[in-house]
Amino acid sequence: MNAIIAEITPLAAAPPASRQRWIERFAGLGFAAPAFILLVLTNLAPLAALAFLSFTNYELGALDFSFVGLKNFGTALQDPVIRRSITNTLLYVAIVVPGGVLISLLVAILIHQRKRTRSLYEVIYFLPVTSTLIAMATMWQFLLHPTLGLINQVLKGLGFAETAFLSEPRLVIPTLAAIGIWQLVGFNMVLFLAGLSAIPRDLYEAVDIDGASHPIDRFLKVTWPMLGPTTMFVTVTTFITAFKIFDTVAVMTRGGPGGASEVLLYAIYLEGFQYFHMSYAATLTLVFLAFTLVFSVLQTFVLDRRVHY
Amino acid sequence: MLHRRDLLKSAAAIGTTALSSPFLTRPAQAQDVTLDVLYAFPAFAKFHEPIAQEFMKQQSAIKIQFRAPAASYDEGHQTMLRQAVTNQLPDVYYSGYHLLAELVRTLVKRNQITEVAPLLQKEDAAWRRANYSDGILALGAVDGKIYGLAFNASLPIIYFNAQLVKDAGGDPDKMPNNWADMIALAVNIKAKGADVAGIAYNIHDWPDDWLFRSLILQGGGQMLDASETAAGFGTDAGRNALAHCRKFVADAKMPLIDWDSSRQQFIAGKIGIFADTPARLRQVTDLIGDKFTLRTCTFPIDDKQKGGLPTGGNAAIITAKDPAKQRAAWEFLKFVSGPEAQKIVVETTGYMPTNLRASGPEFLAPFYDKNPNFRTVSQQIERAKPWQGYPGGQSVKIWRTQREIIHAVMRGETPVEAGLDRMVKESNALMKSS
Repeated sequence: MNAIIAEITPLAAAPPASRQRWIERFAGLGFAAPAFILLVLTNLAPLAALAFLSFTNYELGALDFSFVGLKNFGTALQDPVIRRSITNTLLYVAIVVPGGVLISLLVAILIHQRKRTRSLYEVIYFLPVTSTLIAMATMWQFLLHPTLGLINQVLKGLGFAETAFLSEPRLVIPTLAAIGIWQLVGFNMVLFLAGLSAIPRDLYEAVDIDGASHPIDRFLKVTWPMLGPTTMFVTVTTFITAFKIFDTVAVMTRGGPGGASEVLLYAIYLEGFQYFHMSYAATLTLVFLAFTLVFSVLQTFVLDRRVHY
Repeated sequence: MLHRRDLLKSAAAIGTTALSSPFLTRPAQAQDVTLDVLYAFPAFAKFHEPIAQEFMKQQSAIKIQFRAPAASYDEGHQTMLRQAVTNQLPDVYYSGYHLLAELVRTLVKRNQITEVAPLLQKEDAAWRRANYSDGILALGAVDGKIYGLAFNASLPIIYFNAQLVKDAGGDPDKMPNNWADMIALAVNIKAKGADVAGIAYNIHDWPDDWLFRSLILQGGGQMLDASETAAGFGTDAGRNALAHCRKFVADAKMPLIDWDSSRQQFIAGKIGIFADTPARLRQVTDLIGDKFTLRTCTFPIDDKQKGGLPTGGNAAIITAKDPAKQRAAWEFLKFVSGPEAQKIVVETTGYMPTNLRASGPEFLAPFYDKNPNFRTVSQQIERAKPWQGYPGGQSVKIWRTQREIIHAVMRGETPVEAGLDRMVKESNALMKSS
């Protein structure tokens, strides 16, 4: 930088200070430009195209389209299928977020106290994260087969009735949520383990001296407050992951039985790629984006205020 | 597997076909042409590949190149629509009948499909009559014009476990020919075996409305009313269809699981009666092996006078742009719908042949004598009806909506009458919405 300025300054007629500021600003923009252009090309431009499509009546394969204003948004608000898919998604999120956060916290605390077997447990819990979900979904489908599956064989052995987990409308979302939690726990556990390692030991010694030596006291007085930032991060990412539920639905239930597992992303997929209502799918995608954005921002700000850094 | 004698016979037959076809005598295929062909269902490679091999042996100037097969008719349809926009269409595509009208209408608007009728006109009339019936040609017609040549055709049939039927007091040689008796037999099968289901009619999970159409048409009903703009099944035919569906579950204890699991269960010998496409007859027969005696019978018909059955399967369409490729594609279409190719299809799947000469003594007759299960589907051919598409291009969504209501009726959550009302109302709304 200095070299460039040194070269230019003698030639400059304008006062050096303002010229330098101008050059710095220009250079700064130049450095930011590649990232900015990429952001525009890969994120903002498609988003603009999406927003544009949502005000039209374009269908895949059609030669022309016209503007329909807010009609798509009006339809979406009244569409019972969309309402149901939002309810299903929220139910899924409502099970996966607390389940995925609390279970992984529990697992992390239990594993953190292990000395020799710690890495073994870490690997075991982390395995589902590394496996592809499509293959795993197929495996779950075998396990959950209404009569021939292992889970039902075990249930039958224990004297329970056979249960069609994926074909029973009331059970399908909880079943998918359990699979979602199974997949998330390993990743969240690693984050919590990192958080646990960062807690200074002398804090535990201090509460010990103050008389709080029971494990629950230690957890409530030290561990939990100190894990605040980690918990916030894990909650937000779990929330976003849960909201994006699609692959297990697409592979295992295809929205069935009777639409009981139709979640928002799957409804968008159906509208766009099965029914070819591109414009309507674009509208729904905007709704989906708004949902994740609003919830994430809300969560970040609300939790941020309560977190002790 | 073809025997050499069969091949010789086929070659002779093709020879006569070629002589009577003025197209082949032209020196049009001087230079090599490669055709891109797309079909649905990867498992169908087992007849597409040998047919293409056979074709290339006879037409050395034309090369057939298959694109990666689509996972289903729906996905093939999506691929075609996407590629129509990006101008990457294959030269030949096999479209499911239920999506043919929508696909053709889109492609006609974009000027990306070749009509088949004029090509047929150019052929010798006697040859045409000897190979294609009017009913078969009608399967490829959209808005009164022929765009597709029927390749696979099927009507629903009943598979059954002969042992379970006998145990329940039924006669495997005289299966019920109406639904009331069929359901009664299913109830008896259920009553005999503790862990056995009487029947599986997987309408609640079927990817398209074929099985629903079957129940409506066999009862003498229509999918559309006389104006062809509204649902026509809000009649007794629709009421009975839904009542049957409820009885499958309530009385014969049909398990409401996905159709893959259901088929596995039938193959494992745990379901007595199973309604399905004959296209998987070969596969199911092989999977069952010696576990039990698999038999098939014709689909029960409640309305013996007017009752019909919907034709499933697919038709080949020509989407090639280049005239030389269009000519080559027509040769390919004639071959795949010819008796030799149809013999391969029937023997590897269970489909009906779409060629008049294919059932003759020099092609399929000996095979049918040895495998009577494969003949069943052809015994109901006079009931075959072409696919009557819904107006408005929303048929996929209409079926998803209908299927949910049928599912609720089968579970007993919605009474038959209320379910039928909802089906009619919601189908009509979707037909009008675009």
